[in-house]
Amino acid sequence: MLFAGSGMELYLMGDRRRVVITGMGVVSALGLDIQTLWRNMLDGKNGIKPITTFDVSQYKTPYGGTVDDEQLTSALAEIGIKPVDRTLDMAYVAAHQALLQSGLIKEGAEREHQDVATVFGTGVGSTYSIYASAACYFEKGMKAVRPTTVPRCMANVISSQISIRYKLIGANYVMVSACASSTLAIGNAFRMVRDGYIDKVLCGGSDAIFNPGYYCSWNNLGVMSKNPDPEKACRPFDRDRDGCVLGEGAGALVVESMESAIGRGATVLAEIIGYGESSDSTHITTPSVEGQARAIVMAMKMAKIGAGEIGFVNAHGTATRANDSCEAGSMRLALGDAVDSIPVSSNKSFFGHMLGASGAVEMVVTVLGLQAGRVPPSRNLDNPDPACDLNFVGPESIAVSSPVAMKNSFGFGGNNGVIILRKG
Amino acid sequence: MTKQEIIQRLRDAMKASGELDVNWDDVTESTAINSLVDSLSILDLIFEIQQEFEIEFDAEEMIGVDTVGDLADFLAKRIQ
Repeated sequence: MLFAGSGMELYLMGDRRRVVITGMGVVSALGLDIQTLWRNMLDGKNGIKPITTFDVSQYKTPYGGTVDDEQLTSALAEIGIKPVDRTLDMAYVAAHQALLQSGLIKEGAEREHQDVATVFGTGVGSTYSIYASAACYFEKGMKAVRPTTVPRCMANVISSQISIRYKLIGANYVMVSACASSTLAIGNAFRMVRDGYIDKVLCGGSDAIFNPGYYCSWNNLGVMSKNPDPEKACRPFDRDRDGCVLGEGAGALVVESMESAIGRGATVLAEIIGYGESSDSTHITTPSVEGQARAIVMAMKMAKIGAGEIGFVNAHGTATRANDSCEAGSMRLALGDAVDSIPVSSNKSFFGHMLGASGAVEMVVTVLGLQAGRVPPSRNLDNPDPACDLNFVGPESIAVSSPVAMKNSFGFGGNNGVIILRKG
Repeated sequence: MTKQEIIQRLRDAMKASGELDVNWDDVTESTAINSLVDSLSILDLIFEIQQEFEIEFDAEEMIGVDTVGDLADFLAKRIQ
């Protein structure tokens, strides 16, 4: 059996509150708002570009999905925030958009305390502040380390500062599960609302990794592409893929009960109908087909759907040899032959792998796809790998009529999260 | 260094650091310290002062330092 436990079966299949998405926001290499990101993706634009903020001349992968500094500073100034730490800064911008779209905040209006929880995911937290602090210590000694490094670098700073700024008095915390962090954060938010803990949750993820103290470790890990052309480097599921390309960014969503959304006249963007999570329990970096399939099956059981009802899959698709072939295998194991009819694509070729933020940003893209009835094209999928035998979206975007989509996130450490959405 | 010179150097250093959300051009000798910082951000203020003036002191030593003018007097005793 892929999973066991009568208690889990009862929980998954039981009727609980319906959970919907009423607001979204993004920061990415292809735009700092959802409309710009969506338009650029439909146009097949590339957000992966040379890194210019530090010396990468010795790096094997001197490019990534970097967010434009001027645009980020400008976006922060528009919402009255002075830059503090890049991970938090991007989360602020995305959170503000989501809260605005959901109607939970209004521009220019005084903010009142609201019973909204704040649950964010991050793979690595405040890397810029951590690196700056470490640099101070090693260059100038312990007295040169700023005392407020503690609240700046603590892992929960994202959720805490957002809850403070926007006066959100539900529980706030950060979930850390590598590349699955924000999908698990969204899944946890879904459960909180579904089970009646709270009516509304602001959730999402943020990661900023292009500082030398952290990015060098990825360079040395050897899983990133060495393709000399940033345009062509990130090639999810392609036969000639040679590794991932990293990105930075943030995604935020407001998740709430259907009753709450309808009661206050909010627009329902999509409904979360299923959530599955699992651990591979095999290896700290190599993924497991069975582990991932468990999460997919769990999500489908909760959604009460068969494989044939899935309209498209927004894959994890990192473009590493290991992930893509494993993910293809896990989808086939979980979905059976029906997978041959389900369009599959990865967004990471557009803006890189944002680690803990990837799930949230790609979840936003999935919702946009459901709303538009369209899936963005696959970039750089010139020759699909026969070992990844799936029905991939080609170089042009495609129309989809099914109102159901699935989003996969699979992280280092064997952390798996899958969310199934229905069009609002 | 005169009191006004210390205050101006403090203004310039804090503006350059950008750490506190304060309009330092509006800060005068009579500005109350607790109107500029709270219990956390005062640590940033002390840190920046220590880096700029190359001195060391703890927040506990700042008894009676209520205004920027008091702070300048406090620093004058410690600056070499």
